[in-house]
Amino acid sequence: MNLEELRKINARCIHCRACQYAYSGEPDREGTDEEYTGMLQGCPAGLFYGWEGYFNSGKQWMARAFLNGELEASTELLEVTEACTTCGMCETQCPNYIDTVAVTEALRAAIIEAGVEPLAKHKGMGDRVEKEDMRNPYGEPRTDRTKWYKGEVDKPGTKIAYYVGCTAAYRQPHIADHTTSILDKLGIEYTVVSKEVCCGSPILRSGIRATAKKVMKENLEIFKDFDLLIFSCAGCYKTFRNDYPEHTGEPLPFKVIHTVDFINDLMKEGKVKIDKEYTEKVTWHDPCHLIRHCGLAMEKKILEKSDNWLLDSRKAEKVKLAYYEVPREVLANIPGLEHTEMYRNRGDSFCCGAGGGVKAQFPDLALFASKERLKEANATGSDVLMTSCPFCVTNFEDGIKALKKEEEETGKDLSGVGSKLKVVELLELLDELIE
Amino acid sequence: MTEYNSVTDEVVKKLVAICGDEFVTTSLPLRHSYMAKGIMGLEAELPEVIVRPASAEEVSKILIVANENLSPVTPAAGGLSGGFALPAIQPGGIYLDLTRMDKMDVDVENRVMVVEPGVRSGDAWRIFKTKYPDWAPPIPDGAPPAATVLGDAIERGFSLVTGVYGPQADMIMGLEVVLPTGEIFHTGSWALPGAKPFYRWGVGPNPDGLFLGSQGSMGIITKCAIKMVPHPHFKTVVAYGGDTWDDIVKPAWEVSKYEMGISERTVMVQGGNYELVMTRWPKENVPVDYEFYKKIGIDRKWMNYEVWAWSQEELDQTLNGIDKVYKDFEVREKKVFPKQDLHPKQVASRLKKPNKIAVPYSLWEAGFLFITWYCPWLESAAMMEEYCAAMVNHGFPPTMWVASIDHARQAIVMPILCFDSTEPGIEDRIREFNLETTRSFLKKGWINYRPDPFVHAPETFSQAKEYYKMLVKFRKVLDPNLIMHPGRLAIPWESVTNLPNPLEE
Repeated sequence: MNLEELRKINARCIHCRACQYAYSGEPDREGTDEEYTGMLQGCPAGLFYGWEGYFNSGKQWMARAFLNGELEASTELLEVTEACTTCGMCETQCPNYIDTVAVTEALRAAIIEAGVEPLAKHKGMGDRVEKEDMRNPYGEPRTDRTKWYKGEVDKPGTKIAYYVGCTAAYRQPHIADHTTSILDKLGIEYTVVSKEVCCGSPILRSGIRATAKKVMKENLEIFKDFDLLIFSCAGCYKTFRNDYPEHTGEPLPFKVIHTVDFINDLMKEGKVKIDKEYTEKVTWHDPCHLIRHCGLAMEKKILEKSDNWLLDSRKAEKVKLAYYEVPREVLANIPGLEHTEMYRNRGDSFCCGAGGGVKAQFPDLALFASKERLKEANATGSDVLMTSCPFCVTNFEDGIKALKKEEEETGKDLSGVGSKLKVVELLELLDELIE
Repeated sequence: MTEYNSVTDEVVKKLVAICGDEFVTTSLPLRHSYMAKGIMGLEAELPEVIVRPASAEEVSKILIVANENLSPVTPAAGGLSGGFALPAIQPGGIYLDLTRMDKMDVDVENRVMVVEPGVRSGDAWRIFKTKYPDWAPPIPDGAPPAATVLGDAIERGFSLVTGVYGPQADMIMGLEVVLPTGEIFHTGSWALPGAKPFYRWGVGPNPDGLFLGSQGSMGIITKCAIKMVPHPHFKTVVAYGGDTWDDIVKPAWEVSKYEMGISERTVMVQGGNYELVMTRWPKENVPVDYEFYKKIGIDRKWMNYEVWAWSQEELDQTLNGIDKVYKDFEVREKKVFPKQDLHPKQVASRLKKPNKIAVPYSLWEAGFLFITWYCPWLESAAMMEEYCAAMVNHGFPPTMWVASIDHARQAIVMPILCFDSTEPGIEDRIREFNLETTRSFLKKGWINYRPDPFVHAPETFSQAKEYYKMLVKFRKVLDPNLIMHPGRLAIPWESVTNLPNPLEE
């Protein structure tokens, strides 16, 4: 939706600032100590910058001023608006069901569509995706997209495709390798598609919608004859699942599923059983795109069809909460794994800090959020911080590197805030364990 | 008429010298990010500069600069259920975001806590829950976690124990105030250097009342010592229904008059009508016929009684006492007031503090406003009757909430005006409604809480002329240049109204 279409939704904001808190409806939530108990502030950008405009509550009012012609499009406005991971913590909290992330993304797009140049890093990504010989934000040749893959590309006659995504294809090929290895072990007939292009996520988040729509259209054409697309990237999955129908106005012509969800389904059907032990103390980080955004979309889909929200809101919430259990169910099926939740989890999970175009454009904010989350992970007493998103993995690893560097430089022991944590991608572990 | 100057680059430089570059901004987007039109007020002008001071000393220096330049100053930290205190007239001037001042000291021995303006309810509740579980911070009830303890107290707001302890301001034990001219002083026993804030009336006479409810127009309160609330953990909520406002107001009075008895443990008495439930959902996506609400066990009107006790026995005794009052009243009135069968989840939801109960009324259309009035408890039924009729006449759903203050000595009556804030001319329609009800209510001797500058304040002070004259005298002593939050409390008068100025009569 464009910002004008969101005018009435934005107008619901009364600036109550409940959106600034995780567990804004759970004052008596039990925690371990004063730091992790009850309601806890949960907006990475707001906590980092301090000014109201960096919290969603302030952004909603900037969007309103923009809509009402009181605030013109400017680089200054774009800078404040872009400094947000679009993690959706605020959306979870809003009692007025404001689509906060949609408003923020639409405001970014409206500013750019009004003629303001996208911020440097975002523009670079957009330009590279725009180039036909690249179609990825990293500026790599399109011809190298499937270079990582040893198997047969574009296998004929398959109805299932593995959508790899730019990050796994060009930067973290081990994730793609593990995913295909899992699919092979499970005997899934699938293919990797050579024509695949960027899903559009990073540029859609940062407001460069024209290019994002172009790649959406291309992907829909490329994959139209498939029945199912399997994903290993949380961002790509969310973009296909939630944003493609939203921006094209059409339902997807194929089903989509994330590998973790796919494996969970097979586990429930008894088709996958893990016997190998993994005797580690683990805490799970919910990637915002994979968990919160998809859960919220499920909840909203039910409410969209409801003529009685008073009765149906609880049903909708239950569906959302049940979805949040998926990765936990997978972890529970791994023998020996000792799982301890971080205080902020599921819909109230604190963002890793990498999303929404922040990692590239606002590295200090990304690092701040990463450290905040590492501290929370460490407080569980776990040795392993597990997740399933290439951006979360990278940002956490960068956070740990920064802590280690600080240890070297200052001689301080920062193990109490997470410097000794090991970050593990769940798909990597599953590949190791599934026989 | 006072003329104010716009904030110049020179002024900004001085502010930066006081607070540091990092905490001063003239960014237009950031200034807009503080705006709010809804819930607690529709009047809002854009500030010219935002400053985030860290201490009373910095606040003092800022006020001296503001006086030199004749710039208006608006202090805020977010004590409201929604929005911020915002400039009412132009120029918007210097806006003080006091959220960095967020220290809290708890003195269990003397049962007092000292809070700075930025201490939020959610954070205070979390700290008490872990460190002082037998005590509760006096947070606003029904306000979300970002509402501040100090803001609610100095606005004389509604706390989680207002039914017994009175408005939040009644619990204040001392203030630290930065006067508009920059002097910093303390009230109560706190005025004596080294003394604890243990006695409100202190070295006396006590000027607290000038600052409480002044909406920041008499000075900036940078610390407040306030009583902590004992927090027994045997709690529940019971509710009784009725068909008319009298059906819920009269029995509540019967219960509440048992001071030092059952009403002492009935910390909260609050009620409403079924529209209070209905308008929490989108107009197009919820049944609007009462029959639906009847089926799910919601009475047309009801009153909740929230009881806190130190033991199950004490809790049961109180609940039985309330029930007996109702039974006796039913016999006397020859009428039935059904006790609601509350689901444990409903009880848990009503006991939750802080909560978001006050927030979702934007779903009905796209915006809402609380307009709050005080009256003697037994007169509240008449007020609600008249208010609901006026709401319907003006095209608003009659959503109404009422609560007892201090054992039903007073009532806080609050219509929740649900509207579409994107509708052209909506502010005029609200103003018309507000004027009509305000004029009628003032005639009956009822008073507005936190009067808005353009309707309630001028209408009230046009009648309470002697009080207004005295108020202006005090204001001129404290704030000779009238820089503090101009327009609020209709000072200066001409900045907000064309009505005859009481000072000139």
